Amino acid sequence: MSSSAESNLAWRHRKAAVFKGFCLTVTGLAVVILVVLLYQVSVIGLPWLDGQFLSSFPSRFPEKAGIKSALAGTLWLVSMTAMIAIPVGVLAAVYLEEYARPGRVTEFININIANLAGVPSIVYGILGLAIFVRFFALERSVISGALTMSLLILPVIIIAAKEAIRAVPSSLRQAAYAVGATRWQVVKAHVLPSAMPGILTGIILALSRAIGETAPLIMIGALTYVTFIPEGPMDEFTALPIQIFNWTSRPQQEFHELASAGIIVLLVVLLMMNALAVYIRNRGTR
Amino acid sequence: MQDDKTGVILDIDDVCISYSGELAVRNVSLPIYEKKITAIIGPSGCGKSTLLRSLNRMNDFIPGCELTGTVTFGDVNLVNADPVDLRRRIGMVFQRPNPFPKSIHRNVAWGPTINGFSGDMDERVEKALQQAALWDEVKDRLQDSALNLSGGQQQRLCIARALAMEPEIILMDEPCSALDPVSTARIEDLLFELKENYTIVIVTHNMQQAARVSEYTAFLENGVLVEYGDTEDVFTNPRNQRTEDYVTGRFG
Repeated sequence: MSSSAESNLAWRHRKAAVFKGFCLTVTGLAVVILVVLLYQVSVIGLPWLDGQFLSSFPSRFPEKAGIKSALAGTLWLVSMTAMIAIPVGVLAAVYLEEYARPGRVTEFININIANLAGVPSIVYGILGLAIFVRFFALERSVISGALTMSLLILPVIIIAAKEAIRAVPSSLRQAAYAVGATRWQVVKAHVLPSAMPGILTGIILALSRAIGETAPLIMIGALTYVTFIPEGPMDEFTALPIQIFNWTSRPQQEFHELASAGIIVLLVVLLMMNALAVYIRNRGTR
Repeated sequence: MQDDKTGVILDIDDVCISYSGELAVRNVSLPIYEKKITAIIGPSGCGKSTLLRSLNRMNDFIPGCELTGTVTFGDVNLVNADPVDLRRRIGMVFQRPNPFPKSIHRNVAWGPTINGFSGDMDERVEKALQQAALWDEVKDRLQDSALNLSGGQQQRLCIARALAMEPEIILMDEPCSALDPVSTARIEDLLFELKENYTIVIVTHNMQQAARVSEYTAFLENGVLVEYGDTEDVFTNPRNQRTEDYVTGRFG
């Protein structure tokens, strides 16, 4: 009896080791692919990445072409999207978790938000075209793009914020209610601060998605050849992924290399946003 | 039972509490006397916590929880009171210490702050911490996180947090169940001092604790009030056989 238990133990250890090895391989593979990708993009793109590239408008001559308007357009787009989507998304999550009575209606709303998170982005583009560009006659402006992007990332923000709020222990809420706090005082002083790291993570993910999305912007007609910087929310614009897409679709090799340089700029913007969010989060949890 | 209502601060009359239609407390009538300690004892799941939590309307947060009957506090029926105002006047200490993840000072000061206290906050915080017998241990580190305190200290901080509101009644839901015997003894000592100024209702699993600290004891079983009376009578001369079995440890 005991010898069979021992061999069984050895077998279980072996299985555990095999599974660990499998996980390690898969993780390693993902990292290797990422490194190869970054390496390739850097080798091709870095020689093009200079002050001239960052400060020039697009051109049909590759050596004169730059990314100024696309970079400015992306910064406009992301900051306006953030201003619209973050308050709406977080407040919707607060309502659904803290105020809404659990029941069929709330359940229905929750299921639909989860579904919306899975809707392809091009569909949001069509919606944005119909509602913001045509119906509200906002034209192919930054605000149209930002509103469309907000719709796209709202479900992501709401779901992440809901999860974060739900993870706040109910004993904390009860402690606050027990000293005579109103619902709003509990939410403001205890629930939101405790949920903030999780909410910020969701916001980073959502905005990172917004920064890389191309399809809905093409759908609402963001321009591909822009030689000016948007000066207000009603101006036309382009964005980094659109510029990159445009360059890769040109036949000349030089433009493909420009696209790589554009990708590096996009990644740097993304990393800076993430760094900012991590900084805010660490400061907030102290 | 006493028919004399003088000194009764909270009068529980024919209260039934149900969760989604299932009765947890059945037709309980019970007086709570001012500046006395009333202990509610009984086996797990007998409805004692449910009854306690109905006294400051904490059951409002549980969907499907309904209460019938009346609980009279002063001259208002709790059911019609504003729960926010009510919880300011009837404080609560929970089973597990649940300090806010903030500084010690902030833990005590938050309640008065949100309720518009405009006096000397440091003085109020010091007084509450002294009453909770915690001041000497934390006076040099009021800005430290409350989460760095030991379990017993955290629970005394939670008591200080309730005291800072200067409530008329303090409800305690098994306040020592998560604590070691030394911390438990300290909190029991504290209860003796607090009853000079406060009315305390304490739910406890600990028979000796109920016998040691309380003036009145209510024994609940399956949501029914089996016996209520002077603690001494309930423990030494119970009228009901079930009570006798329970307090002598023959079951539960």
